[in-house]
Amino acid sequence: MAKLTIPREELMYSGHAACPGCGPALAMRFLLKGLGPRTVVSVPASCWSVIATPYPTTALGVGMLDNAIEATGASISGLRAAADALGLEDLNVVGFAGDGGTADIGLQSLSGMLERRTDALYVMYDNEAYMNTGVQRSSATPQGAWTTTTPVAGEARGKLEPKKDIMAIVLAHHPVYAATLNPSFPEDFVRKVERARGMRGPRFFHVYAACPPGWRYDSDQTIELGKLATYTGIFPLYEVENGQLRITRRMGQLKPVEDYLAAQGRFRHFSPEEVRQVKEQAEARWADLLAREKATSTPAPVREVPPAGAPAPRPSATT
Amino acid sequence: MLEIRFHGRGGQGAVVASELLAQAVFFDGKVAQSFPFFGVERRGAPVTAFTRIDDHPIELRSFIEHPDVVVVLDPGLLRDTPVTGGLKPGGLLLVNSPQAPGAFSLPQGGTLATVDATRIAVGRKVGTATMPVVNTAMLGALARVTGAFTEASLERAIVAFVPSHPEENRAAARDGAESVRMEPVAPSSRPSPPSEEAAPLPFPEGPVASLPSNILHTSSWRTLRPVIDRDRCTRCNFCWEFCPDDAFDFDAEGFPVVKLLYCKGCGICATECPPDAIQMVTEA
Ligand code: SF4
Ligand code: SF4
Repeated sequence: MAKLTIPREELMYSGHAACPGCGPALAMRFLLKGLGPRTVVSVPASCWSVIATPYPTTALGVGMLDNAIEATGASISGLRAAADALGLEDLNVVGFAGDGGTADIGLQSLSGMLERRTDALYVMYDNEAYMNTGVQRSSATPQGAWTTTTPVAGEARGKLEPKKDIMAIVLAHHPVYAATLNPSFPEDFVRKVERARGMRGPRFFHVYAACPPGWRYDSDQTIELGKLATYTGIFPLYEVENGQLRITRRMGQLKPVEDYLAAQGRFRHFSPEEVRQVKEQAEARWADLLAREKATSTPAPVREVPPAGAPAPRPSATT
Repeated sequence: MLEIRFHGRGGQGAVVASELLAQAVFFDGKVAQSFPFFGVERRGAPVTAFTRIDDHPIELRSFIEHPDVVVVLDPGLLRDTPVTGGLKPGGLLLVNSPQAPGAFSLPQGGTLATVDATRIAVGRKVGTATMPVVNTAMLGALARVTGAFTEASLERAIVAFVPSHPEENRAAARDGAESVRMEPVAPSSRPSPPSEEAAPLPFPEGPVASLPSNILHTSSWRTLRPVIDRDRCTRCNFCWEFCPDDAFDFDAEGFPVVKLLYCKGCGICATECPPDAIQMVTEA
């Protein structure tokens, strides 16, 4: 066995009820590898509340709270308060909600948790529609995508509106850390989880989570599709720590978005004009990220850990 | 009253079959009831649906524990799902299979019937070649062997309620009726096994689900299984890394071993293996 690049320990059990090839299942598996056993996860109504809980079993080797779909943010604020009251300061408090439960129904609850500066990690696993109930569009569904409520027939061309930019909304709350993650890049994924684990304050992950039945592709393509999402600029990987943006997967040249779109039944009706729009948006997104990375990269004082025994750094006289 | 239980997999159309059947019965001027068992409605997962047929309004609201007829849309389910559990002595078992009815057994006695619904669905282009939708061919066969509803009403229900390719589905139903084979079987003298029902799970006390899900086995979801060629394997661990079901172990020499109790056959490991050391083969 070659050296493993991610932790061996499994905190997500087999026997769970996810579809074959489920992206959200991999997201949970990697998340728990990075967080370790001192973790409690709050899951609202979503695919994952079904995946985890064929009663009387649980697929999680850590504590899980099954909560209402709009309440993930509030529930992790409560869990944090309870953990602190019990003196469980090392407990990782995590919310794990879908795009519907985050960007639509749970948005105020997420905003409240970020604004209260709750010391917790909120994870939105984004399979870009209400998949648990059978593929209804959410605000995170990409423009033009087919869902059962945004059909493609005659004049109807899938979802009319663009995808909601959840990272922009979250960043407007100035979390201590926010990042995009993709299970097709396990090392980057787990590194971000470990990084977030070591911080205090509100943290947020936007996780790409491919769904074979909902996006209409064959289940063996989940990892390949995820790689394309990042390499085409559709789902770039980056992290923002205290306002400073850093791209974690750099591409000299973006791959053609056609490769990504053609691989999924939900986009197969796209005309060349619709493909061109997606390409332009991907290019603009990438250019914007590069510009923001440059703009925020400068001063940020280097915070080296002092060697053991060295005196603690003094706060500077000017602040 | 005639009670029918359908067994299929998510995506094959078992629930729609039970509803189309009910609709055909209404067109015949009789009364029907249809409903699914709400289990895990995941692609590939075993799915159960029920239909009752009677001349009078039906007041029973329970699941069907003792059906007169069992319809199996996927022969792979016979491997580890107790599909004939509770089937009445003298009842009918209809299986989607290219084999003759004699290839199957029915210890309690009754009628065995088979129809090659997969071949029909592929031929009529109903569904896709990898996921053929076999329900209409099965219903055609069911109409012919039970006579409980007319083939004309079935075709009418298909045309009225099947949203895509109704004509192809109608042709598939007709093919199913024409090609179904049946055979009576006498009760076997051997005593049947005591119970085909799975042992109930040990329920924990209180509302907390505390048993690990790996006491449940998801092997029945699978139609393909990964086979690893150790001569080609470089022990890179990519298959282990990307499996959404944590269905890999390593042997003493560090080679990956698939935990077949859990593998759902998604094919990710085969796609991601750099030297192509994994083949997905059809489950027998
Ligand atoms: S086919 Fe899928 S579920 Fe089975 S071992 Fe491979 S990756 Fe895991
Ligand atoms: S991915 Fe292929 S080469 Fe790598 S360990 Fe698995 S079977 Fe062996």
